[in-house]
Amino acid sequence: MIRLYHVTKTYGEQHALNDVSFKVAKGEFCYVTGPSGAGKSTLLKLLYAAEKPSEGKVLVGGVDASDLQARRRPYLRRNIGVVFQDFKLIPSRSVGENVGLALEVLGHRRAIIRRRVRTVLSTVGLKGRERALPRTLSGGEQQRVAVARAIVNDPAILLADEPTGNLDGAMAIEVIEILQAVNLRGTTVLVATHDVGLMDRFPYRRLRFEGGRLVQERKCRL
Amino acid sequence: MMPHILRRAVRSLWENLSLNIVATGVIAAAVLLLGVFLTVMVNLVSITAAWEHDVHISAYFHPDIPVERRFELLEQVGAMEGVEAVHYVSEQEAQEYLVSRMPEAAPVLEELGAGVLPSSLEITLGSEWAQPDAVGQMAEALAHPEFEDLDYGQQWVERFHAFLALLKLLGVIMGGLVGVAAIFLVANAIHLAVYSRRDELETMRLVGATDDAIIAPFLLEGLIQGLLGSAVALLGLWFVHIWMITRLQEALQLTLADHSFERLSMNLTLALVLVGCVLGVLGAWTAVRRFLARIP
Repeated sequence: MIRLYHVTKTYGEQHALNDVSFKVAKGEFCYVTGPSGAGKSTLLKLLYAAEKPSEGKVLVGGVDASDLQARRRPYLRRNIGVVFQDFKLIPSRSVGENVGLALEVLGHRRAIIRRRVRTVLSTVGLKGRERALPRTLSGGEQQRVAVARAIVNDPAILLADEPTGNLDGAMAIEVIEILQAVNLRGTTVLVATHDVGLMDRFPYRRLRFEGGRLVQERKCRL
Repeated sequence: MMPHILRRAVRSLWENLSLNIVATGVIAAAVLLLGVFLTVMVNLVSITAAWEHDVHISAYFHPDIPVERRFELLEQVGAMEGVEAVHYVSEQEAQEYLVSRMPEAAPVLEELGAGVLPSSLEITLGSEWAQPDAVGQMAEALAHPEFEDLDYGQQWVERFHAFLALLKLLGVIMGGLVGVAAIFLVANAIHLAVYSRRDELETMRLVGATDDAIIAPFLLEGLIQGLLGSAVALLGLWFVHIWMITRLQEALQLTLADHSFERLSMNLTLALVLVGCVLGVLGAWTAVRRFLARIP
């Protein structure tokens, strides 16, 4: 589902990623881990085509994301759900509208969007919060809204950038359980995190990055 | 997709009301300026056309020409080829005519006494003479030492044509400058509205919205602003027209006494509305494209 061939990404003289190659199979759950500045976020940006690699190839769902024309980018992103580290919720829009945005861009009818949003909010434990504004929610609830938006259109791939970074232990477990449930439905899940405790509790495959290099790969111990 | 676009456009118009009022105001000002210019042009062209068709020569007698001689000349001129009608206007009649048009001049004329205005022959030519060169030739044929001066509108028409050509050129330059300035101002006003929604646009892009889907509501907003701006401009133009009729007809009552000021034709009015819409849509397109170029 995801393949990287000798990918390097540089910003000026700085190597954010350096000769990285790996693959993630369809339906796999995988962590991307490492300290801050290891290149985790850059890797995710390459996968949803927000950045292009300086060298190498990035294949996502059979599409070459490293050489994607700007007008083809939206169609790649429609197959990828992304949970951003800073949530990227629209403050002036209600929870329902934020989640429904991913369906709105696909041109779905309002009734279908409403129904689907209700279902997915119920899945992430936010049933009945459609009309609330993001600022009235706790950090954990906002994180779950971001997850709901990422999964509302049943993407083939789910990318989550530090999805538990702002959450306490119990809440972090809850979010990973939601991602696990999504994965069980067949979605390939890639989670960038440095929370070792969480990775030990949910022991999936780990790709460890340091200084932009893939330094270690640990198989799933489930 | 269309209901989403319409809903987003209407919502954005409402949520950024003050910025949208500014953008609409800029469009209205630009369209009004263009409308006033077009109205002036249309009326100048129509006045010129009226003058062109008024093939008329006034031949003013020298004051010491005896009345008998004036009537002899009246008969001679009346017999000339191309002269359709000739009419003698005495000093008294000229004075009465002027007083009838400008009553406030009566005391001055009374003070100056009779014979201030010269008597004249008012010569009307056939419509086949309605060419500046032809009237010029006729004026040459009428040149006679007993006439102190010959006055014919065509001289004015020629000068006026040159003036109109200059005015049209200025209009094109001014229209271009106003258009560019309006697009710039509208784009900046809309850019502020776009900027206030930057999070939304960025998120839309990240969840897979095409640029067309992101831009479309803004274009619709621009179109609505253009239509509203044009409506305001047309209302303004209506007031300007009333003002022009009252002020200019008072000021130019001698030369334009029988001329009624024209409003813009339906085609030109629709063209103004179209200009407003183009300004709105182009301004929106420029602003959103500029913004989208900066987000991944």
